[in-house]
Amino acid sequence: MDSKPILQAMQICKRYPGVQALDGVDFELKKGEIHALVGQNGAGKSTLVEIIAGSIPFDSGEIFIDGEKCMNLDPSKAIEFGVQTVHQENQLVEEISVAENIFLYNLPRTKYGFVNLSHCIQEADKLLETLGIEVKSGEKVSELTFVEKKLISIAKAFSHQAKILILDEPTASLDESGKKVLFDLIKRYSKLGLSTIYISHHLNEIFEICERVTVFKDGKLVSTKYIADTDIHSVVHEMIGKSSDKLYSRSKRKSVDTIKESILQFNGFSRQNVVRDVSFSIHAGEIYGLAGLVGSGRTELANLIFGIDKKESGTILLDGQDITPNHPFDAIKKGFGFLTEDRKDSGLVLMHPIKDNISLVDLVKKGQAPSFLNLKKETLDTQEMSKSLDVKTPTILQRVVNLSGGNQQKVVLAKWLFAKSNIIIFDEPTVGIDVGSKSEIYKLINTLAAEGKFIIIISSDNPELVSVCDRVGIMRFGQLVKELEGDQISEEQILKYTLGVNEAQAQGL
Amino acid sequence: MNMEKLAKGKRKITLNQSLLLVFVIIGLIIIATIVNPRFIRVGNLVNILQQISVLGIIASGVGMLLIAGQIDISVGSQVSLMGIIMALIIEKSTKIPPTAANAWMSAWAEPFAVIVTILLGAFLGLFTGFVVIKSKASSFIVTLALGSVYKGIALLISKGASFSLFGNFELLGRGQLFNGMPVSILFLVLVVALTYVLLKYTRYGRFLYSIGGNRKAAFVSGINTTMVTMRGFITVGLLNALAALILISRVGTALATTADAYSLDALAAIVVGGVSITGGKGTAMSVFLGVLLIGLVGNALVVMNINPYLRGVAIGAIIIISVTFGEMSETKR
Repeated sequence: MDSKPILQAMQICKRYPGVQALDGVDFELKKGEIHALVGQNGAGKSTLVEIIAGSIPFDSGEIFIDGEKCMNLDPSKAIEFGVQTVHQENQLVEEISVAENIFLYNLPRTKYGFVNLSHCIQEADKLLETLGIEVKSGEKVSELTFVEKKLISIAKAFSHQAKILILDEPTASLDESGKKVLFDLIKRYSKLGLSTIYISHHLNEIFEICERVTVFKDGKLVSTKYIADTDIHSVVHEMIGKSSDKLYSRSKRKSVDTIKESILQFNGFSRQNVVRDVSFSIHAGEIYGLAGLVGSGRTELANLIFGIDKKESGTILLDGQDITPNHPFDAIKKGFGFLTEDRKDSGLVLMHPIKDNISLVDLVKKGQAPSFLNLKKETLDTQEMSKSLDVKTPTILQRVVNLSGGNQQKVVLAKWLFAKSNIIIFDEPTVGIDVGSKSEIYKLINTLAAEGKFIIIISSDNPELVSVCDRVGIMRFGQLVKELEGDQISEEQILKYTLGVNEAQAQGL
Repeated sequence: MNMEKLAKGKRKITLNQSLLLVFVIIGLIIIATIVNPRFIRVGNLVNILQQISVLGIIASGVGMLLIAGQIDISVGSQVSLMGIIMALIIEKSTKIPPTAANAWMSAWAEPFAVIVTILLGAFLGLFTGFVVIKSKASSFIVTLALGSVYKGIALLISKGASFSLFGNFELLGRGQLFNGMPVSILFLVLVVALTYVLLKYTRYGRFLYSIGGNRKAAFVSGINTTMVTMRGFITVGLLNALAALILISRVGTALATTADAYSLDALAAIVVGGVSITGGKGTAMSVFLGVLLIGLVGNALVVMNINPYLRGVAIGAIIIISVTFGEMSETKR
């Protein structure tokens, strides 16, 4: 099928402080096609669709929809142009009916100006019927299942005479039957002329329903190809691209046998369907990476290990001795440390000085009985700790909120080291951190490993895992599907297991 | 970097609202003194301190709790309820004509009333904390509701009437030490000093700040946030018991509405003093300065012969000005 383009984006550039999110991207969407966008985290695919949907302004370039040039695009204008987006997260209003959600921005009214609810429900039922979604539109959204909510989000997009439908990870947390309904819907409507931009990490889905695939890397469009002319391996290859200059690499990768004998075993960690029977072990001085997609259960696993969430099963043995923590206080006493994914949300007390943040865990560890602080010693000790991690600040009485992301992360690390943590989990340790601080943090992690600590790094930044870790475990749908070590650790291997390419191959795709 | 430099850095950070408050207080004292020199007399100043002693004790507890991010606006009703029960015990056991058989009753009435009040204070704090924590709702709403409950119970018990101490139990509220130093001021100073030490120099104080500053981070850092919050509520209950004893002792009678105004006055004093309404910030000193300002305003209006009903307007204006200033200095940073 070779038809006219419905959307043309020319030389789109978008710059965020410190990063060129899009760099002269030319993108074309044909009428009636399903077009996949793929790329690693931060490659620029989300930025592009947000620009098309009018959610964020672009610096330079031009966008034509149906041959018409779009100036000063904003979300409501984009909707007028026929662009509809279904976001990854649920964006429905929970406490009102399905029908009202579907027509939220264009509610039918009576002649007195009130909402005409019965008409609204009629129209919505009609729409749901043509779409083949079996949900009663009078129901409250809060009463729907997750899958039904997703389908309603999509139905909502269809209510506006959409010409261009943007689907961002639409199958995340959909089961097989939900997927089938969704795919049928998209296929049916694309035959009627609807154009779809389909963003997904699940490459096998893309090969199942898309017509063309465009690969992004580092803000640039790498290639656009017909699905028929390519295969999963070359797409993965293009996503990784030429290996860029490494920020950091470990001086010497130790082989497992030469590492000290102390061993930490994690056995059978499970919670509902989020984490499924995960077991692995780490040697003292080893840096163990956990790769996987967002939602693959890595952070959830860390929360179970640290005793933040209740687990169904799971034990931790240090040289055979059970040290499984039941709650964070227990974890801290047993030498665990956890640098959470969102340091502002759960790592730091932003309005408090560096000093108080660094000493907090140590104070907790000493017990909760009311006893007196030695403020002078605290000041000197925390200052020494802050200096040893090279936190850049004139004084440790500076509030943490005023520090850069890299220095904030160092304060969180300082907090755990000050409490002499021996088993340290880093969750996305370098997100939002500038290049210089990144390599400093890698060096620190390496030093900690050299001191014989147990290190776990959860990261979605695969090059980071490749350059820092001794071994990498890959999680998918809550399970640990593969462990890579030594020369096996490469971006390509990690990505393949992360995306389940090998499974897809097994299925003959 | 030496300690001296550190100390300097610290001063720069903590001034602002507290310093402003000191200036406002000094300014108010100067103006009131110019208008009526009697204001600055020792007798009047002692009088002011005595007047604010109950508010100061209540506000110290509520301030600590607010630093941990929890608001308690049931305190006024808690104090009223304890006052009713305490006065009831004393009235009932002293009104009966003394005979040989019941002499022990009137002799033990006061200590018994004190013990019951303290136990009740601990219980009310525990109960309030329990409901706040278990309901997981905003403490403002929960304590608003509980305040209504406590006040209702006080009304039920008293049937709207008042209980009198008949001149008994005067030491706490009216007693004096060293020729003119009211006992209640001694308790005020003691409570403020203990609060100061607790917040600044103990681990528990640091936990309060951390929970108020970022509850999630405090939890991940291993703090038992439920336990610490619970203790905060119990502390408030105990301080309320002390406040009830002093208040009823001074007034001599108890009504179900005696301490109504203290809920909002305490919150006002704390906020004026610069404790962040969302928690994590403030000191015992700032609470005390807020209490002092509110006490001074009321007294200065009377002494300057201005309509005392203006007090509410003046206090409202002071709250808005100080909060606006606090917000400004916050965003500038």
